[in-house]
Amino acid sequence: MIACTIPLIDVRGLAYTYLRGTPLETQALRSVDLHVYAGETVGIIGPTGSGKSTLLQHLNGLLKPQQGQVYVNGISLSDPHVDIRSIRQRIGLLFQNPEDQLFERYAGDDVAFGPRNLNLPADQVRERVRQVMEMVGLPFAYKDRLTAELSHGERRRLALAGVLALEPQVLVLDEPTAGLDPQGRRELLHILSQWRVKEGRAIVLASHNMEDIVELSTRVYVLVAGQIVLHGSLRDVFSHHDILTQNGLSVPIAMETMLMLRQRGYPVSINVLTAEEATREIKALLYV
Amino acid sequence: MTGVEEPLIRTEGLHYTYQAGTRKPAPALRGIDLAINAGEYVAVIGANGSGKSTLLRHFNALLLPTVGSVWVTTWNTRDLAHLRDIRSTVGMVFQVPDDQIVASTVEEDVAFGPENLGIPEEQLRQRVDWALATVSLSELRHRASRLLSAGQKQRLAIASALAMHPRCLVLDEATAMLDAAGKRCILETIHQLHQNGMTVVVATHEMAEAAQAQRVIVLSEGCIALQGSPHFVFAQEEILQALQLDVPHPTHLARTIATSVAAFPTDVLAVEELVNAAAMLLGPAPGGCR
Amino acid sequence: MSKVLEFELIGHVTIGQYLPTGSILHRLDPRAKLLMGLLLIGAVVVSHSLVGLTALLLAVLVGLVLACVPVPFALAGLRPMLPFLMLLALLQVFTIPQHAATATVLWRWSILTMTDRGLLAGILLIGRFSVMVLGLSLFSFSTTTTEFTHGLEHLLRPWQRFGLPAHELALIVNIAIHFLPILAEETERLMKAQASRGADFGRGQRNFIKRARKLLPLLVPLFLVSLQRAEHLIEAMEARCYVGGKGRTHLIHLQMQLSDYVALATALGLAAFAIQLSITHADQVLWHWIFMNR
Repeated sequence: MIACTIPLIDVRGLAYTYLRGTPLETQALRSVDLHVYAGETVGIIGPTGSGKSTLLQHLNGLLKPQQGQVYVNGISLSDPHVDIRSIRQRIGLLFQNPEDQLFERYAGDDVAFGPRNLNLPADQVRERVRQVMEMVGLPFAYKDRLTAELSHGERRRLALAGVLALEPQVLVLDEPTAGLDPQGRRELLHILSQWRVKEGRAIVLASHNMEDIVELSTRVYVLVAGQIVLHGSLRDVFSHHDILTQNGLSVPIAMETMLMLRQRGYPVSINVLTAEEATREIKALLYV
Repeated sequence: MTGVEEPLIRTEGLHYTYQAGTRKPAPALRGIDLAINAGEYVAVIGANGSGKSTLLRHFNALLLPTVGSVWVTTWNTRDLAHLRDIRSTVGMVFQVPDDQIVASTVEEDVAFGPENLGIPEEQLRQRVDWALATVSLSELRHRASRLLSAGQKQRLAIASALAMHPRCLVLDEATAMLDAAGKRCILETIHQLHQNGMTVVVATHEMAEAAQAQRVIVLSEGCIALQGSPHFVFAQEEILQALQLDVPHPTHLARTIATSVAAFPTDVLAVEELVNAAAMLLGPAPGGCR
Repeated sequence: MSKVLEFELIGHVTIGQYLPTGSILHRLDPRAKLLMGLLLIGAVVVSHSLVGLTALLLAVLVGLVLACVPVPFALAGLRPMLPFLMLLALLQVFTIPQHAATATVLWRWSILTMTDRGLLAGILLIGRFSVMVLGLSLFSFSTTTTEFTHGLEHLLRPWQRFGLPAHELALIVNIAIHFLPILAEETERLMKAQASRGADFGRGQRNFIKRARKLLPLLVPLFLVSLQRAEHLIEAMEARCYVGGKGRTHLIHLQMQLSDYVALATALGLAAFAIQLSITHADQVLWHWIFMNR
């Protein structure tokens, strides 16, 4: 239990409606509760239109809660005097397809955008850019390359570097591996898990990709039609596979395999998430 | 069927270079020879930048080869006089759902293609009805096209291509922007079309999708690195990893199990196959078969 | 309030929004509605008569009721314009050239003079804008963009034989309407991505130039994204054999009904009434009554 720690992000009873008060209003979130503590990776899964993006945009104050509260390090984001830019430094948000949002001519300048907005002196900016580019696996020399000349995967990593350059405490990512080839995906997940190792950091990850969620998350929230229908540890959530499939979500292949074997009468545990665990179950059956 | 049939699409020595003749040419295809026969279901896979999209755009003459030739039935794609025939024979569906919509309602978007061909009006309605029914969008025919979900928009794109009565449907990463349910729906539609005789070519990043095809072509840096049935291609795990690709998840799972469990079959592509293979190895389930 | 709407660009603008209420007005032929819209605009611009404008305003309000649109909602569409409008009206009132002796002076304070002509001009200005905004909103509430482009294309089609590219024009309008909300969304996404990295898009900053400069980093990616999407659309259209308007057949044909002709005739009558009444007898009577009975 992490009861003694204050959560880095604390969301309570959050509700949000787009175009409220007009005949075209749509309710995107209905009373959502969510907590993120230091040292975890929290996964958010849900079908398209469930409100994932709306939820993520509340975490760094892009959207203000219409009902409910969002606290970052104990500071309420509904407070009219909140220093929103310091919140956005602490909570780094990476949108979907971030490589489409790069705008500087030279790659290095784009990474430097964040630190420059923090009014850091030029040598510090340069040092940060060097550090984060190294972290994402891009040679520092790339800083003088034209942004447009980098490959798709390199541009995505550049966008990530741009957010890491703020030195945030929490990294919030919306579909970080969408559109990447298998190698690109492996590299990105590696970078993320390396980043989180450092003390006091956390990751919030919204994704369709179950394998990503299983690989990185410690806790998961399932968001359907603006409400949290399931939450808990990775294992707990996936054990409710019927609720997941009802809502159009899939489970990891290892679990699906065990479910089907169980259906055919084999006494295997369905509490299986990884290939290794599946192997263990099959071995148990064979060499009983 | 008499004698040897002409392939539906054929390429010979196909080279394509972007910005050819300028200061910074970018070769995308370096000598592709392939043939796609009528009724085949072919998947093209490859890392980003391997040339998948470039290759597919040669099949309906959106791109013309820098060197080499491409034929659709008996027509050479360079032959402008047959451009209409080529594009009515090979229909195409693209990756971004919003960027294929031309008209404001569903039925008008489907009608766009045949309208361009000058199809007489009695037949227009028939084609639209048929295309919408094939993708199960008939109830939404009067809906505003931009109010559809992403999955519905892709089905609309398929219907719009079908309305041209093509013999071959080419899909360039058409499921990339859809969620799991959307992907499944499109794959079912493609499968159904193939069962009814459509030739299908898909480019995809999802190995599970490629595993459903009859033939898989692996591109790497503009060349065909590997080609064959899905079972054959996905058995070459090391080669695929070197090409920045992967095997389908069930295959990967089977291999992991096989490292600890002797004789566990690794030649599987889908979860069902995996479970069947496991069941064979494990013997009948205790408590009798179900 | 403005903090909440920091990023909602679409906000509360009523022109361009469609309300599916299925009213009689919704079912009229779009060509009739387009022509009625043109008549309205023409009448509003030309008319100098208070009575005429009032008649047009009443007609538009009746139209809103017939279209089952909540009138307060439609009137709220005037709100964004109000400050501008008041400013312009005040300018009109105080700077309209004095039409010499016939103008009665109503109020004077140092160099500012307000005459009855000036007041009339101010009121007419507000009246014109209001009628136009409400009229255009009424049009968009009751007409889908599909109907609009169909109406436009059908009206322009007879001129095709004289070289007017009717289909191409209608297609351009169609695509623009389709992509405007998409581009607005992209802009919003870009702003949010940059704001997430500390960019500040103007929390009431005084320096207009500074604020404008902050928008520059949006232009390049927006431009690139637009070009990219345009290219995708071109490919999709070419793949479906689009070569322009020549030789195309059409799925949809519009048919005018009796109700359309009746509506059109009503609009024509109303417009004629409003235009014909310049500063006429009716207006003079009204004016005298207001200002002589103080």
